[in-house]
Amino acid sequence: MSTENVDVSTQAGPSCPSCGAPLQPEDRFCERCGARVGDERKSDAVATRVELDLTIAAAVSDQGLHHRRNEDSFHLEVTGERNVAVVVCDGISSASAGNVAARNAAEAAGVVLGNAVADPDKDASQVILDAIQAAVDAVIQVEWTTRVKRVDPSCTLVSAVCRGSEITVGWVGDSRAYWFDREDARQLTVDDSFAEEGIAKGLLTPEQAAKSPFLHSITNWVGPDAPERPPRTVSLRPERPGRLVLCTDGLWNYAPSAGELGGLIDALPAGAAPAAVARALADTANDRGGHDNITVAVVDIDP
Amino acid sequence: MSSFTTECYQNEYIQLGGSEVNAIVTVTSDGAAGQTTQPEAAEIVIIDTSGSMGAPSQKLAAAREATSIAIDCIRDGVAFGVIAGTEVARTVYPPYETLVTASSQTRSEAKRALRRLEPAGGTAIGSWLTLAGTLFATVPGRSCHAILLTDGENQTETDEQLDEVLTELEGRFQCDCRGVGTDWRVSELRRIASTLLGSVDIIAKPGDIAGDFRALMETAMGKATGNVSLRLWAPQGANIAFVRQVAPTIEDLTDRAVPVNDLTSDYPTATWGRESRDYHVCINVQPRDAGEEMLAGRISLVEGDETRAQALVKAIWTADEHLSTQINREVAHYTGQAELADCIQEGLEARKDGDLATATFKLGRAVQLAAESGNDGTMKLLQGVVEVDDPATGTIRLRRDVATVDEMSLDTRSTITVRVGPGAT
Repeated sequence: MSTENVDVSTQAGPSCPSCGAPLQPEDRFCERCGARVGDERKSDAVATRVELDLTIAAAVSDQGLHHRRNEDSFHLEVTGERNVAVVVCDGISSASAGNVAARNAAEAAGVVLGNAVADPDKDASQVILDAIQAAVDAVIQVEWTTRVKRVDPSCTLVSAVCRGSEITVGWVGDSRAYWFDREDARQLTVDDSFAEEGIAKGLLTPEQAAKSPFLHSITNWVGPDAPERPPRTVSLRPERPGRLVLCTDGLWNYAPSAGELGGLIDALPAGAAPAAVARALADTANDRGGHDNITVAVVDIDP
Repeated sequence: MSSFTTECYQNEYIQLGGSEVNAIVTVTSDGAAGQTTQPEAAEIVIIDTSGSMGAPSQKLAAAREATSIAIDCIRDGVAFGVIAGTEVARTVYPPYETLVTASSQTRSEAKRALRRLEPAGGTAIGSWLTLAGTLFATVPGRSCHAILLTDGENQTETDEQLDEVLTELEGRFQCDCRGVGTDWRVSELRRIASTLLGSVDIIAKPGDIAGDFRALMETAMGKATGNVSLRLWAPQGANIAFVRQVAPTIEDLTDRAVPVNDLTSDYPTATWGRESRDYHVCINVQPRDAGEEMLAGRISLVEGDETRAQALVKAIWTADEHLSTQINREVAHYTGQAELADCIQEGLEARKDGDLATATFKLGRAVQLAAESGNDGTMKLLQGVVEVDDPATGTIRLRRDVATVDEMSLDTRSTITVRVGPGAT
């Protein structure tokens, strides 16, 4: 193509994705139609799916079939032989700028985990708590003011530090971590949700909880108005090779128990790579309705 | 220079398909220029000297005394003058058609000139305002304020004549109106004050004029800004349902819009001292999809060409009815206060027309709204007109013998609102 044919009008500057009016770099909203534009700029032309394949670990984040934007976010890092830092966040969709909260939280927590994962002197649980604190600090910075208290920008967060076969998981909210090996399928996290609290207090059976309208009413989250409850952590040192899976409710809604989710993985060819597993799980969620954004991270653990 | 701050109260969540966005914006001015004189001001006191002001004789004497006190409050450097109004208007001080600069000498001269006032003739308020406009025009660039005192109805000119004058003078100066006694018409003074961005009140007893004039003039002297406008931007395709001042008094500004460009209009708010005012804006926007967020309006305070503060009104569409059906506390409160003012005015109107059923219903609702919102001032005034049996349900009986002054006080002050009380939900 000769240079004369280049359409320079498209290079004049950014324009509103909604009405096409020209935008100034500092605009957060279109000056003509009012559409919010500011936060999307960082991820211009948002793909409906983002994949990251780091061989021993992989993550997929998919917009799903019903949401207009992906309010999930993840951070995945592999250092040295088998050190993995992973964070998965789900922006709370009833909150303003939930997507920004999730992105900033995943980024901030991921940086802390990534810096510490290869340093064996640092206690993994403490590293996770520091990372979640960094996420809280980052979310509080999200530029948005609202008078409706419960909808400040916020997100859930589940994260893990893997040093060889030593796994430490920390979480806030209802994004989950699971462990699967040839004998075991286990949910490592306990949702910060009314449903889980109901089960813990004996008020609900797990079956009732699964149907409860409060299933997704979370009792802790990352955000300026979060209740002052410490994040929870859990550690394990598996003896057999297996997979650590972190995911948002966009996936586990379609396979709520560890057994069901494990069944989906078992249906894949033995020895499927983490990327293949993550992709297959996200596809399954979309096949079953894709009602929410879906994010899944898979880490191969080989003691 | 005084600075402005804004706070915006709203539920930005809109149900899918919904288009109405409501917000209350509180604007506070710190009045920081209060310590410095503001020589750019101009002040005129307009006194009714029609024949009725002589009956009883202390009415004019009290007006003269009050004007004298008001003149003492005028700071050095302010351009000022006094107008006497009958079926025509004439200058009392200075004795020719201009304004003079305030100093101890000119203030004394003005007070001496007041002694010459004698009650005689009719009432043509339009002509008084026209003369004020002419005098203010001799001092261009100043922020102009007048106080108008009358005791009667506009008689020697038609409503249409007064309307023409008001249309002509709108935006030229600000005018606070006071009615003394009970022979003046509330709706008439309210129309004048409202068009000229001033307040209206009743002064039942001549002896109270002085205190009121002093307060009015002190407030005027405390104004730290020039003319300020509320500037409202709304996106393409939106329409402004209304823009209303809701505190300290209700004042509908919707029709005052002065277009700035296709998407932006200015609503004049005159000058500001150290004070805080609340505005309710209601904008209809084009509905968007679930999860989408938009700027439904931007409210700025503009002095000259300078934006002094701004607030953003947002909309986010959601399928979550728990979010979209919450009515913001401030929006609900001021919607109630606006209804309260309407109920009082409609109820009193119905009562005058002998439609006692409507009057009972409207004033009953007013009692209920005043009780709910803790508007004790209005409640007290309502009790002068109705017997309250149960404020919670608005059960009332109309009083048979109502003092005119009570009825006029209620009517005049029906637009005074209270702010949201702490903890009320």
